[in-house]
Amino acid sequence: MNRFIQQGAKFTSNFKQYLKLPNHNAGSYFHDIQLRNFENISNKNIVNMVVEVPRWSNAKFEISKSIPLNPIVQDTKKGKLRFVNNIFPYHGYIHNYGAIPQTWEDPTLAIASMDNLKGDNDPLDMCEIGNTGILSTGDIVQVKVLGSLALIDDGELDWKIIGINIKDPLANVVNDLNDVAENFPGLLAATKTWFRDYKIPSGKPKNKFFGDYKNVDETIQVIENCHKAWQALINNYDIIDYTDKPWINNSTNNTGFNDIQDTRLPDAPIDPSINTWCYLK
Amino acid sequence: MVYTTRQIGAKYTLDYKLYIEHDGKVVSPFHDIPLYADKEKGILNMVVEIPRWTNAKLEITKEDALNPIIQDTKKGKLRFVRNCFPHHGYIQNYGAFPQTWEDPNETHPETKAVGDNDPLDVLEIGESVAYTGQVKQVKVLGVMALLDEGETDWKVIVIDINDPLAPKMNDIEDVEKHMPGLLRATNEWFRIYKIPDGKPENQFAFSGEAKNKKYALEVIKECNEAWKILISGKAVDSKKIDLTNTTLKDTPTYKPDTVIPKAAPLPDAPIDKSIDKWFFISGSA
Repeated sequence: MNRFIQQGAKFTSNFKQYLKLPNHNAGSYFHDIQLRNFENISNKNIVNMVVEVPRWSNAKFEISKSIPLNPIVQDTKKGKLRFVNNIFPYHGYIHNYGAIPQTWEDPTLAIASMDNLKGDNDPLDMCEIGNTGILSTGDIVQVKVLGSLALIDDGELDWKIIGINIKDPLANVVNDLNDVAENFPGLLAATKTWFRDYKIPSGKPKNKFFGDYKNVDETIQVIENCHKAWQALINNYDIIDYTDKPWINNSTNNTGFNDIQDTRLPDAPIDPSINTWCYLK
Repeated sequence: MVYTTRQIGAKYTLDYKLYIEHDGKVVSPFHDIPLYADKEKGILNMVVEIPRWTNAKLEITKEDALNPIIQDTKKGKLRFVRNCFPHHGYIQNYGAFPQTWEDPNETHPETKAVGDNDPLDVLEIGESVAYTGQVKQVKVLGVMALLDEGETDWKVIVIDINDPLAPKMNDIEDVEKHMPGLLRATNEWFRIYKIPDGKPENQFAFSGEAKNKKYALEVIKECNEAWKILISGKAVDSKKIDLTNTTLKDTPTYKPDTVIPKAAPLPDAPIDKSIDKWFFISGSA
């Protein structure tokens, strides 16, 4: 039983992976998955995550903002498929990386307490640190929130939430960043280094952060704010004045999506140059 | 010199055997492939056993005729190396030099330890991820002396001659210059890689320092001499190493008509998810 509808071959620009709804129609990974499952509605530190990029891989899969129903696609840059570089000593992404559904980093709102930074117009990013194995693109897992980093990427605010799959054997003992430091020594420093440096090989400067790691309570507040921003996006869609605002399901948009067929093809080969290790001085 | 592979069974199973062929004839990667591809230019052949970023402990077997590559086992179970944070699997293309032997009957004057009874281990640091059974032409840059459970286990550092950086890499100091951090990471990797299995930290001779190219070439030469004695049948104790070969006419174990099963490759078996676990070892990273 496939939990998603796939079109085209992975690692090509035709690839699209849609959420499969219980009625077998295609849905949106951005809007049609709850922020929290019903049983955790009062447990603010557990949220859903949509996995985009599995740990130790390079292809930059992400939920599309513009394509109707927000399928997962591979990001492109100047018409070329995007792969992140391997920054020595790391191989690809060092977490299972993905997004928190029903959140939106509002690009129209300047946050006064953070130097008037504005959001990057994406769902919140989640870095899942667990050891339940490598998760797969399109997996939906419940994650316990542990902290966050406020990355500033090209002048936009781009939160990286740190969390652990609640099914991880360590999930019961890891509740905050101190527990991460104790059970995953080196990981918090590596995470910061990784996000600081990962665009250097493509000619970009080092990324910056607004302050240091934020604790669980601060991070839950960020998630709540971004969930409210998402609710406003849905409720006030037509009056939001922003050119690239994400596609949403509404009465004017929601036609003709019940016939999205699975046309999956075998994975395309990945260019071996992706395997190069980049050594930074 | 075109080498190809003949696979029997599925990778990551006990049945897996990978033979090396030369012009369609099976050869031993331990004995038949020449150590020197071009001795004057300093180009050596290396047999790749384990591709970078993978975990299965694939190695040239000593016990079977023509020494196919198989997956090592421990107590009957397939052996995989653990991922020690921040590393993923092996951090180099890992393999062996043909026609070399770390003689377990000899104590090395400087490391004061006996050889580990294997062909010399090679770490290829170029940018490409190699494949199991690949025969690469490499140049030697240096060597580290791991002391693994009391035995000398040299790790020779090389780079594929076709790597874009190969022209700039001529000795050990060029490694730090062009790949900053790699030697330190390599040192750490070999010290800690058996800790998740309950073993103590490994030690390096020479305080962990990597010796230069000249020293490495001397180690290679000594191990090549030890192998020559082994293949001539004159070793003090050949430790039940299978010496069958198909090209060395002057050796007592030259058997050009050795029958090897036909190729019967199967798709890779799935690897257990537990192999993806990352081990965080306090104080190492």
